[in-house]
Amino acid sequence: MKRIRGFAWGPAVFGLAAIGGGLAVQPVREHVVVEGRHQNLNIAETHASASLLGQFRTSISGWLWARTDLYLHNGVVMRPLTEAELKMGKNGQGAHAHDHDDIQEEFNVTTEIPNAEHDFRGIFGDIDRATKAYKDMTGHDHQNPKQALPLFRLMTWIDPYFIDGWTTGASVYAMGKNQEGYGHAEKFLRQGLVHNPDSISILNQLGFTYLARLKDYPKAQFAFEQSIQKSQKLRVEMLTEGDQESLEVSYRFLALVYRDTGQLEKMYPLLREGLKRYPHDIPMARMINTPPAFLAPKAKEKP
Amino acid sequence: MTPKVWPVLAKGVLLESVRRKDLWVVAILGFLIVASAGALGMFGITGLESFAKDLATTVLSGFSTVLAIVSTARLIPEEIKNRTLYPLLARPISRTDLIIGKYLGAVWTSWISFLILGALMTVALVMFRVEFEPILLQYVIAKMMGLALVCAITLALTLWMTPSAATTLAFVVCFGSNMLVKALVLSGQTAPEGTKVVYQVVNAFIPQLGLFDLGGRASNTNWGPVPMWVLGALAVYLVLYAGAMLALGSVKLRKAAL
Repeated sequence: MKRIRGFAWGPAVFGLAAIGGGLAVQPVREHVVVEGRHQNLNIAETHASASLLGQFRTSISGWLWARTDLYLHNGVVMRPLTEAELKMGKNGQGAHAHDHDDIQEEFNVTTEIPNAEHDFRGIFGDIDRATKAYKDMTGHDHQNPKQALPLFRLMTWIDPYFIDGWTTGASVYAMGKNQEGYGHAEKFLRQGLVHNPDSISILNQLGFTYLARLKDYPKAQFAFEQSIQKSQKLRVEMLTEGDQESLEVSYRFLALVYRDTGQLEKMYPLLREGLKRYPHDIPMARMINTPPAFLAPKAKEKP
Repeated sequence: MTPKVWPVLAKGVLLESVRRKDLWVVAILGFLIVASAGALGMFGITGLESFAKDLATTVLSGFSTVLAIVSTARLIPEEIKNRTLYPLLARPISRTDLIIGKYLGAVWTSWISFLILGALMTVALVMFRVEFEPILLQYVIAKMMGLALVCAITLALTLWMTPSAATTLAFVVCFGSNMLVKALVLSGQTAPEGTKVVYQVVNAFIPQLGLFDLGGRASNTNWGPVPMWVLGALAVYLVLYAGAMLALGSVKLRKAAL
């Protein structure tokens, strides 16, 4: 009996310590939980199970993301040039300048398996190049990105909070350069917004789709305004790198929308606000200093 | 050496594997494969052919390597532990014969597991109407050679260290060697000219298991078959490296006081 009582003390002390610890960390909650964020974003900070599941989903979607890049290169594994290679003056094997520049920028990249000239392995290197998907990728083209569309659907289904999956997937839909593709892109982004209502990047991409693809200025204006509004709701340091870039672009495009629709009374305050947040942004600085077309002096006619 | 006994010993390993119901593991893994394929089908396979093949070859490589390591790692340590090695060695066979016979048995077992898993994978891919190219056949041949190398490395390790240490190290070697080679290749590209010999020597010692994996080429489109000289070179490499591993194991077993 004494032994049983001895065993009972352990869990009792542990339980009390756990409760005490839980109460002690409650004040930390306000620092962890960010007000104004969608509750789905906070759940990973407050629930261990959600955090674990989130990690799993992020890993899978990250892997699928890497896979899409691989399929775009038809299986040829690419890698960025190392600092040592850049110092040695080695050039990357970039893509054609015109090739799918919506999807990604490729400058200083090269194949993971080196060419025979740079490979110390001799016959092992020759066999490696013969057994793997390898070719010289200088000025390479990409596979049709449409092939990767199901992967974007899959990765955003697995991890609906994977913003890059939504925005890049929409770009791929829009690459068809037809109304049907643009419609799919819009629908895809709207699905993304259901899961990520505060995402600046998705709103920015949606605005871009309306503006550049569907030529729907009122909807584009609304999306860009929403994008900027959401950023004001959040603390700046909470923005991801991607969101910060998207926000900058949103300012630029919204200013263009205001200018093209004659809403100059909105354009200048917006540009001032944008430059306050992004003081080094050259396009915004140019726009704020350039007089509107109808005020600008007319170009002299050639004799 | 008496080569006549090698198939007998190998058959014993295979029968032991069946008796231990190792193939149930294969069946469970196969079920997982088909179930995963069904889940993938929910999204519609159109456009996902490359992904399906990529997933199939990756899973097939991973599962078959694990099975090869696990089934090989216990062969000789269990014979010693259960004292069944003594009646075996009382027969007119050398210790080298024993190693070669066990090795052949391990290779057969891993090949059969691989082919069963491969057949299930093929069924899953056929369901999705994925097209098969001749390179997939080459993938199977090269992978089988790779598994033979995995068995040789694992068997040699079990003779030099404890079974658990050997299994762990075999996993590290088989799954990490490719990563190590990649790191060597990356750093070797910017290394000073004089040091490249060191890289070559280190690289020669690392088992080049990655060379036997044609999965990346087989799962993407429009890659032609691998030249036959490459398969021949892989076979020569297998014979040399596996031979060296078995010789190392044989040296240890011959010196061991049983």
